Amino acid sequence: MIKTEKILHLKSSRGRKVRVVREHYLRERVPCYSALCQGDCDNEGKVLPGDLTHYVVPDVGIVLDFLEILEFRELQGIIFTQTACQAVQHNKGRRQYNRLRNLLKDARHDCVLFANEFQEYSYCPREKGESQEKWQTRCVYSAAVWYYNHLAGMKNIVMVTDDSDAVAQYSSLNSGVYVISMQEYLHNFWLDVRAALELYSSIAQALQEREGEVSEREYSEHLPHELLEAGIKSGRYLLGILNVNKHRAQQEATVTTQISSNKSADISGDVLVFGSKHRNRAVYGDSVVVELLPRGEWRGRATALTETQGEERSAEDPSSQTMPTGRVVGILQRNWRDYVVTFPTREAQSQSRNSQKILTVPWDHRIPKIRISTTQANALQDHRVVVRLDSWESTSLYPNGHSVRVLGRAGELETEIQTILIENCISVPPFSEAQLKEMPVVSPEQDLRESHLVFSIDPAGCEDVDDTLSVRSLSGGRLELGVHIADVTHFVREGSLTDLEARARATTYYLADRRYDMLPAVLSANLCSLLGGVDRYAMSVLWELEADSLDVASVWFGRTVIRSSYQLHYELAQALLNGEEAQVPELNPLTPEERDHRLTQLTQALETLTHVARHLRAQRDRGGALELEGMEVRAQLDSEKNITALVPRQPLEVHETVAECMIYANHWVAYKIQEAFPHQALLRHHPPPRQEYFSQLQESARAHGFSIDTSSNKALALSLEQAVDPQDPEVNRLLRMMATQAMSQAMYFSTGALPADQHYHYGLALDRYTHFTSPIRRYADILVHRLLMKALEQEAGLGIATASNRELEETAQHINNKNRAAQRVQKLSTELFQCLFFRDRDPQTDPSCVSDAVIYGIRDNGVLVFIPHLRAFSFFHPSPLSQVRISVLSNRCHADSLLLQLIRNLPHESQSPAPGQSQPKVQLVQEVRRQAEEASQQKASLKGRLSREERQFCQSKQPNLYSLLEEIRELALMDSQNYL
Amino acid sequence: MAGLELLSDQGYRLDGRKANELRKVQARMGVFAQADGSAYIEQVSSIKGSRSRTLHDRAVINCQYSMATFSTAERKRRPHGDKKSTEMSLHLKQTFEAAILTQLYPRSQIDIYVKILQSDGGNYSVCVNAATLAVIDAGIPMRDYVCACTVGFVDETPLADLCYTEESGGISSLALALLPRGGQIALLQMDARLHQDHLEAMIEAAMTACKGVSKVLDEVVRQHLQEASSLSKE
Repeated sequence: MIKTEKILHLKSSRGRKVRVVREHYLRERVPCYSALCQGDCDNEGKVLPGDLTHYVVPDVGIVLDFLEILEFRELQGIIFTQTACQAVQHNKGRRQYNRLRNLLKDARHDCVLFANEFQEYSYCPREKGESQEKWQTRCVYSAAVWYYNHLAGMKNIVMVTDDSDAVAQYSSLNSGVYVISMQEYLHNFWLDVRAALELYSSIAQALQEREGEVSEREYSEHLPHELLEAGIKSGRYLLGILNVNKHRAQQEATVTTQISSNKSADISGDVLVFGSKHRNRAVYGDSVVVELLPRGEWRGRATALTETQGEERSAEDPSSQTMPTGRVVGILQRNWRDYVVTFPTREAQSQSRNSQKILTVPWDHRIPKIRISTTQANALQDHRVVVRLDSWESTSLYPNGHSVRVLGRAGELETEIQTILIENCISVPPFSEAQLKEMPVVSPEQDLRESHLVFSIDPAGCEDVDDTLSVRSLSGGRLELGVHIADVTHFVREGSLTDLEARARATTYYLADRRYDMLPAVLSANLCSLLGGVDRYAMSVLWELEADSLDVASVWFGRTVIRSSYQLHYELAQALLNGEEAQVPELNPLTPEERDHRLTQLTQALETLTHVARHLRAQRDRGGALELEGMEVRAQLDSEKNITALVPRQPLEVHETVAECMIYANHWVAYKIQEAFPHQALLRHHPPPRQEYFSQLQESARAHGFSIDTSSNKALALSLEQAVDPQDPEVNRLLRMMATQAMSQAMYFSTGALPADQHYHYGLALDRYTHFTSPIRRYADILVHRLLMKALEQEAGLGIATASNRELEETAQHINNKNRAAQRVQKLSTELFQCLFFRDRDPQTDPSCVSDAVIYGIRDNGVLVFIPHLRAFSFFHPSPLSQVRISVLSNRCHADSLLLQLIRNLPHESQSPAPGQSQPKVQLVQEVRRQAEEASQQKASLKGRLSREERQFCQSKQPNLYSLLEEIRELALMDSQNYL
Repeated sequence: MAGLELLSDQGYRLDGRKANELRKVQARMGVFAQADGSAYIEQVSSIKGSRSRTLHDRAVINCQYSMATFSTAERKRRPHGDKKSTEMSLHLKQTFEAAILTQLYPRSQIDIYVKILQSDGGNYSVCVNAATLAVIDAGIPMRDYVCACTVGFVDETPLADLCYTEESGGISSLALALLPRGGQIALLQMDARLHQDHLEAMIEAAMTACKGVSKVLDEVVRQHLQEASSLSKE
């Protein structure tokens, strides 16, 4: 190591100039991460392949402005210099820097980081009087030269810079090192990557626009960072995440403050930010700093439901409670993502024809309009386009952005589904040809093929069987209960390409008409799946239970090999339990005597299992757990699996039996891994809900004469149990759904990140819980499997390093985010299908457009309704005539106009110039008819498109859209006939 | 505000060292003639002088720590006598009472004066190292070298020998003075929160670092001895 000294001139906190000397150590051996390396560098991790035509070293400016382009996976052999990375960190903030870091960590992307400033020969000290940009360019160039020499001239190095002086100065200095501009580079080397070229021109245009722009100020400037930090510390300002009211996006936003920064007692929870001036360019999701306004200017949250956005409502509701109100003084962290926008139609555009800038309307209500400069405005009208935000100057009313890619025409099914995916940050490219490498053979510790009767119970037609069960009596009267889970980790090695892809996806996405698997189909439906009659590897939990008390005498975890004897489905299993005649397909080829014998055996096993499950359930109930769990599942079916929920579905006892066994296995595994890794175990907790969320539930219940005690999970479950109106079964269901809505979400976490008293699972009333039983469709389970394996190895005396607490917590957060996105996507896609379904119905004549609804809340100008057979909450503005009816609480309301409301309520519809609230009914009907026409046209072309989709993704094995829609229609007809 | 990234994903620290690497240490002994023993050590570019006087009833060790006004980026008002310096003096005293064979010098006092000329973090440990050299230069018998080092904790990795930027980055750090041959700890000081599970790893790292320092000091002493003996031969 060689020591040098860096002299820096910094500004001290008091604004004085200070001369600082810092030590700077250089070394000869800095890993180059190239497969061609001649000097046997210590290359660990990602290595650039040797078979590329060139390596590219982007200059600082390129990395700052065009990082998005460098993110294309087609671009290979990128060497990021440390100089450039530091520039990103300083100039662009943490978010952008993390993006770069993730890029560097991503094994699927060919790029490495070279620590050029620590390399003896590539480091160049900054000269006196040299500007920072020049010095950075010189550093990057010398790194490029170093690479060329280090690889003994075997590989040409291209340095990309947009500094024309640098191109002139350096291009002829060294023969193997080329210096060219970004545009030239893309044109010369990646002409086939059209998307990159388009993105380049789009960004370049946006950059150009930004320069020549000076006009008067629309917003007040943000305060500098130091002031904000100091203000937060002293309690003058509050820090929080900006949340925009979906229904009044222009006016109303709240900032959810962090409790720690909240010193004054009177500010509980949220701070209201009213109007766009006060919001001061903050966008939904940003982490902002707010200053409270004087108490006289505080105002209340508008309780009136309105859709007339933009119109200032002067009539402030005096009765509504005032809450702390503030204004945004600065933004600590932008949280911008990719947004889907729609280009306006030509008529709307023509006003702004003079400039090339076009105001586009985002799909998400909560995002302001985005100004885009493009030359393709004509071609893009009525298309949905992905854009990114670049900046929002204080001089501009709207933020500037640039387009990234075009999704397709608005209103088409594929476009809409892509839109939903992008809006939730989900990317599911088809699986690459990443080969499943030769798997190592792990010898299982136990062979259960002969000794155990193993069977699975799943929904009918299930392909990916994660879990199987077994139960048998041992000598001495004890029972042995076994849960066997597909051993996915056996096939998916940690760090392999499949693993990385699975981690990125984190879960399987179920959309209304298709699903995107987490693992390639060959694994999920075949190799891992515990199908009947074949040998499969499994992770097993075996409990030995006392004969009478059913207490756990001992428990064993480990790898096993099993052969599932029966692949049952729920209805069949229930039929067997009930002693009904049932056809078990596996038994058909046998002789009648043998069949009877086997059948008795199986039935007996099922009965024992049910007995055990009942006992476990009772045990949990005693411990304070509750009907809540059952309710949660029901609500899931209700709010998410909307289409299946239309089927009158009976919850069978078998469902609960299987679920109970799985919960038990999860619980025990959670214990095990936490015991082995007190600070690095992945668990799942469910925090207790915030009491204020229950107010609506309590109000509604009171209206019906029930009282709901929400003080603890047990009390809540109990009072929900009692709140049954014998005349109206919907009441209880509605109350339960509202309770579910009040719940906070269960989350994964790493045990080191939370104190032990927060590990509790509120819904299940278990002190420890994790997910272990579905590794085929959840990444968290894969992690838990690995942890369990490591825990077992540790017991056997093999010290094995696990991921650190911080890494695990990071992964847990990632999985949480993806899970939330998956749920939203599922919900949105069902809503989309509902919408498509009703679009081609004539509301005047079609009976399926008439439905019952329950009013569960009243606002100033409307009522909140719940439509049971769609499991949808909605709101509804009554016309002046029907206002009389509001006074009757919980009344059944005529639904004709309701459904109209529902159609218009969907976000993708309101994009098209939404018909005003006060529009006469005739116009609304026309609107819907027009849409119906469109839909029928669309339908004609649907079949062809879907099958193409099938070819592309190879994932959609569900019935196609057409038959699905027909199915919904039939079901809806059935329903309405029942009601009418 | 985005905190500085003290340890990059590639395992480099801000100044290009790896987690377990020490700063370059340069030292000279016998720099002042007036004192019985003196040393100059450059781990942070700092000079320390030390001398011993024999005065009192039994060996009392007296330490005084001060920083030059020009030693930090912003000029200091008071070079010594503030709270920090007093505390530091006390720590030094405790450290050397453990290391010097005081019973050999009844009715006497040993004065150790250290002055930081330029500070770049790890003041305490450099003071200890410098004072060790000075005491050796003075010919006062000690149990062993006393070597000290600071260790910080970032991303579950202990960082040896913190520089000023790292020290001020708000991480938990620990200072440890070690008698390397016996592995005895003369002083252990930490005033930040740290999970107890990590403490062992930190101490482990600190001890390794101290042993590295002791090698350097040993070399310096031997070299000094050689020079001195060759001078005296002539």
